[in-house]
Amino acid sequence: MSNVIRASNLTLAYENGDKEIIKDANFSIKKGEFVFITGPSGSGKSTLLKSLYGQLKPSEGSLVVGGFDLANIRQKKLQELRTHMGIIFQDYKLVNEWTVSKNVVLPLMIAGYSTEVQETQARRLLSHVKLTGIADKYPLELSGGEQQRVGVARALAKNPVVILADEPTGNLDDYSSNVIWDLMESACQQLDTTVLVVTHKIPTIFSLPYRHFIIESKGVYEVH
Amino acid sequence: MKSIKDHLMFILPLMAILLGIEFYLVFDRTTDSYEKGLKEGYSMLVVTKKPMEYSAFSALNDHISASQKIKREEIVSEVIKGVSENNSKKILDALPYFYNLSLDAYLHTSALEEIKKDLEANVNVKRVETFGSSYSSAYRLFSFIKFTLKLFIIFMAVVSLFLIIKQMEIWKYAHRERMQVMEIFGAPLMLRSGILFKVAFIDAIFATIFVSGMFYYVKFYWAAQSGIDMMIENQADLFRLNDIGILFGSAMLIVIISVYSVVFSSKGVEE
Repeated sequence: MSNVIRASNLTLAYENGDKEIIKDANFSIKKGEFVFITGPSGSGKSTLLKSLYGQLKPSEGSLVVGGFDLANIRQKKLQELRTHMGIIFQDYKLVNEWTVSKNVVLPLMIAGYSTEVQETQARRLLSHVKLTGIADKYPLELSGGEQQRVGVARALAKNPVVILADEPTGNLDDYSSNVIWDLMESACQQLDTTVLVVTHKIPTIFSLPYRHFIIESKGVYEVH
Repeated sequence: MKSIKDHLMFILPLMAILLGIEFYLVFDRTTDSYEKGLKEGYSMLVVTKKPMEYSAFSALNDHISASQKIKREEIVSEVIKGVSENNSKKILDALPYFYNLSLDAYLHTSALEEIKKDLEANVNVKRVETFGSSYSSAYRLFSFIKFTLKLFIIFMAVVSLFLIIKQMEIWKYAHRERMQVMEIFGAPLMLRSGILFKVAFIDAIFATIFVSGMFYYVKFYWAAQSGIDMMIENQADLFRLNDIGILFGSAMLIVIISVYSVVFSSKGVEE
């Protein structure tokens, strides 16, 4: 199976390379794998995730995602890469002025799908995340768990190659958390999507075989 | 209330620029006829030994657009009163030939001197009178007014453009979350700045309507009652229908410049 993500001697730093967060990391993740990245607060989990969607360029080494070298990527190519990604945030990052339906179909809107396709997909996706009947509501009218499910629906909208999730259940109760894990598990199994989750704690409900990386002392290590 | 204030902060500076553009257009059109009047009212006086045709004058300088022979009988009509026919004929025969020369443009005094030199180079020309001093003072005053108006419009436009960009930055800040989310999901620049374009386009339409309305009022109501000759004579030039297109086009251009200057100045997604 081909690698969807490959890091070689990857170093990530802020402030013109003065403050190193990750140093000489080497890892690769294959298509369809479910991967957890854990580590203490401030270890660089979110920084690593940011670098995977091109928000932070590698200071040294290389980071290849979906065939794109993120160390030397042009803006146009980065935009293209991001359209093949689904990203889930701890704080949901929904547009509060838009309806739930519009939030969900954002990736389709960016890809230029027709309004009819967008409407059909919005209904399908909301039904998939068990949120029927709220398409015309606004995010602030929903509970945290519901908002995150909208976030998951948005991430799944365009059948992404990779889903990146940053503490997706960090603000949720156990019930809502379990729903979110189920959704991501099924995306991985049914769509063969690579799922990479940054989290403090790995949930116990998991049925999938998964890989686990830990970030410690600027290094990224696989836990066996 | 805050939203109205925000829109006014965009519309008013934009109106200032559009007013400047329209003022310039109107000034240019009305002074064009004034300039034409000055040009038509102005002529050089040339005295020649022998009769000369227009083609002979125009061959000496390209700016000469017409020549008019002054009847010698009219010049000496007062002098020959009571003089015998034989003597008056002798006086007329002794007189040189007089011509009024018109020019094709409103020229600077240095250009007038050039024409004078060209004419005097012809052996048949005895004397050339340009009336340069009266011409020069009118020309200088006219040029000064035009220059100061242009300067004022440019200054006003620059200050207004800065205010517009400032307001655009406020809007960008207000919509930063949705722009960030769109950027994260790979939206191109045009799509994620769509909200800024939308807001600014609507305000640009309003600004164009307001400025057009003001000049429409000046043209059809105020000018007629103003009692100012120049306004009444040039009422048709005060506002033309195609000015709406010029104003709207200018407003759109300003919108595009301001949106792009704000969007390109950002460093990307900031979380």
